[in-house]
Amino acid sequence: MTNLSARNNILAKLKRQVAGTDYNNLPKESGFDYPKLSHQQQLEQFVAHLQNNHAQVIKTSRAQIAEVVGRELKSLNIDKLLYGKNSQYSEEIEALPTADMKCRVILQPFDFVVEGEAKQNLFDNTPAAITGSHSAIAATGTIVLWPTVDEPRTLSLVPPVHFVIVDANQLYADFTTLINEQQWHNKMPTNILLISGPSKTADIQQTLAYGAHGPKKLVVLLLDC
Amino acid sequence: MTQFKQNVKRDLNDPQLRDNFRGAMDYLMDKRQAAFTDEDEWTILREQCKRIKQRCLLKLPQLLEQLEENLQRNGIKVHWAQTTEQANEIIAGLIAKAGGKTVVKGKSMVSEEVALNDHLEQQGVECLETDMGEYIVQLAKEHPSHIIMPAIHQNKSQIGKLFAQHIDGFDYSTDVDTLIKAGRNVLRDKFCQADVGITGVNFAVAETGTLCLVENEGNGRMCSTVPDLHIAITGIEKVVETLNDVPPLLSLLTRSATGQAISTYFNMITRPRQPGEKDGPKAVHLVLLDNGRSQAFADEELRQTLQCIRCGACMNHCPVYTRIGGHAYGTVYPGPIGKIISPHLLGLQATKDLPTASSLCGACEEVCPVGIPIPKLLLRLRKESVQPRADVPQTVQGQGAGRKPIEAWVWTLWALVHKSPRLYRLSTKLLTRLSWLMPKKLGPWTVARTAPKLAAKTLHELIDEREKQGKNK
Repeated sequence: MTNLSARNNILAKLKRQVAGTDYNNLPKESGFDYPKLSHQQQLEQFVAHLQNNHAQVIKTSRAQIAEVVGRELKSLNIDKLLYGKNSQYSEEIEALPTADMKCRVILQPFDFVVEGEAKQNLFDNTPAAITGSHSAIAATGTIVLWPTVDEPRTLSLVPPVHFVIVDANQLYADFTTLINEQQWHNKMPTNILLISGPSKTADIQQTLAYGAHGPKKLVVLLLDC
Repeated sequence: MTQFKQNVKRDLNDPQLRDNFRGAMDYLMDKRQAAFTDEDEWTILREQCKRIKQRCLLKLPQLLEQLEENLQRNGIKVHWAQTTEQANEIIAGLIAKAGGKTVVKGKSMVSEEVALNDHLEQQGVECLETDMGEYIVQLAKEHPSHIIMPAIHQNKSQIGKLFAQHIDGFDYSTDVDTLIKAGRNVLRDKFCQADVGITGVNFAVAETGTLCLVENEGNGRMCSTVPDLHIAITGIEKVVETLNDVPPLLSLLTRSATGQAISTYFNMITRPRQPGEKDGPKAVHLVLLDNGRSQAFADEELRQTLQCIRCGACMNHCPVYTRIGGHAYGTVYPGPIGKIISPHLLGLQATKDLPTASSLCGACEEVCPVGIPIPKLLLRLRKESVQPRADVPQTVQGQGAGRKPIEAWVWTLWALVHKSPRLYRLSTKLLTRLSWLMPKKLGPWTVARTAPKLAAKTLHELIDEREKQGKNK
């Protein structure tokens, strides 16, 4: 197997160079001490970054999720929403069709495996999706998703409009703080996703365009702020 | 004239190309500057990131083993390739075994390095680039001219024409939203149908066995989520020790590259699809490529080349790159980083001109987020390229490829003259007295300048005279 010999050759070459290195005397790595912000300031920072990156942020409450989403869907002329059954906010989302509104929304649970016809349908006939989120980062205006069985990876990727619910109590100052406070080291899931705006590109003459391959529109429902 | 010099001549004479690059570089420099407003933060963060990368390199073999162990435990298979051929064979083998016919690719410079598309197409596998810039470049049958913005050498009217020519039903337009929408529609179908997704890796975390991908478009997510098979390829230097190493490097990467506080997406992949999960690839593979990196690693000074996190800031700020553009270099990695990494990947025979294509102004080092002393490494490579071939150690493959007997002889003579005061005085005296013999045309020097005039007397003579006058007073 060339593979195994390639492995051993590469490692042997590298090991020869660093054999006997004293790893106890490496230079100290100190990071920059960022100014400590209050929760309110962090929230402002979070919202400002997201808006700067073309996301729409709506401050609301858990009780109003259905109403807000219904209103936004109506203004976007969308009558279909993909969501995760048994997910964190599924009860609130399921109140959507019966909410006191004039629009009619067809709720579609993500109860299929992404293959064959279901996959094609996901790509072609799913105008919008809604997910919860795991946490958020103030310093960069970032929403952290830990996709689950109920809210799979493609739910926040394939539909052109993504509604995401963020709990303001899950806001962390920065990425380092988040990793350490939640001890990510011992519990990495299949996939973690940091999202900081709608999909975009500046590949054509440095002109920003939104909706390159991921969602064109990111609507953030910020709860309890 | 060497190929490189011909390329330079060709591209310097292309006003459209020069305009496109000038515009793009000014834009990227402004973006980066706006992202670093606090000098203290920049200095401290940069030192921190430099040390992180240096530590990870010092521990490289252990970290690679740890990465392999953790990835395998997570269900991600690891493959090792010493050469580009091996990497291509591994990937083609994986695709063949899965019966794959169509591949969607996220942006990966390492896949360019191994010329993966060409190899796969020879095997009858359709390989589609999905990063908008890469897609444009592939349609035009070109190669990327920038590591972050691959189609930077084309403007929107050129791209409009390209799309009108290649995309069914597309009418010429220079409206960027229209262009992107057209690209999106074509590629969306491909994401849905492809059997295989191939991507690069920005950071591979040894501690957890996690592959991290930085991107704005979402095509990297598509490639690593939708097809049943995901193959990632990366250089061995991309491994970091812990999750904690990631945030500072990520912050400097995106700010240095495009001035963004963070990219739109940061994708951390730790496992293939698990039982019960409804999407994600059923199998994930990582190909670790050496291709000359272990050569750079073997020399403590040259090892710093491997600190690179591929942000592209060095090229954005390089006066040479801005003027000649990315294609003139003739290598996959252009600009300052290309000049110091390519000799390891391709040998100095093929790249001996590159280390000389620099004014050593130092802008690249100044903006490098991991403090790679690029000008110093260029000088070092210049030295290696003229080192006698037989000299030991043979640090860089192709050592001595740039050595010219005449030049070597001239410098031996120069050294001899400068070691002996007598010969020195004699030679300077001769030069001043015989200055009328100097030709009016001195090669490239006099293309845009007049020939220098030597003084009538040597400096020593002038000082002697002044001293005599002083004594007389």
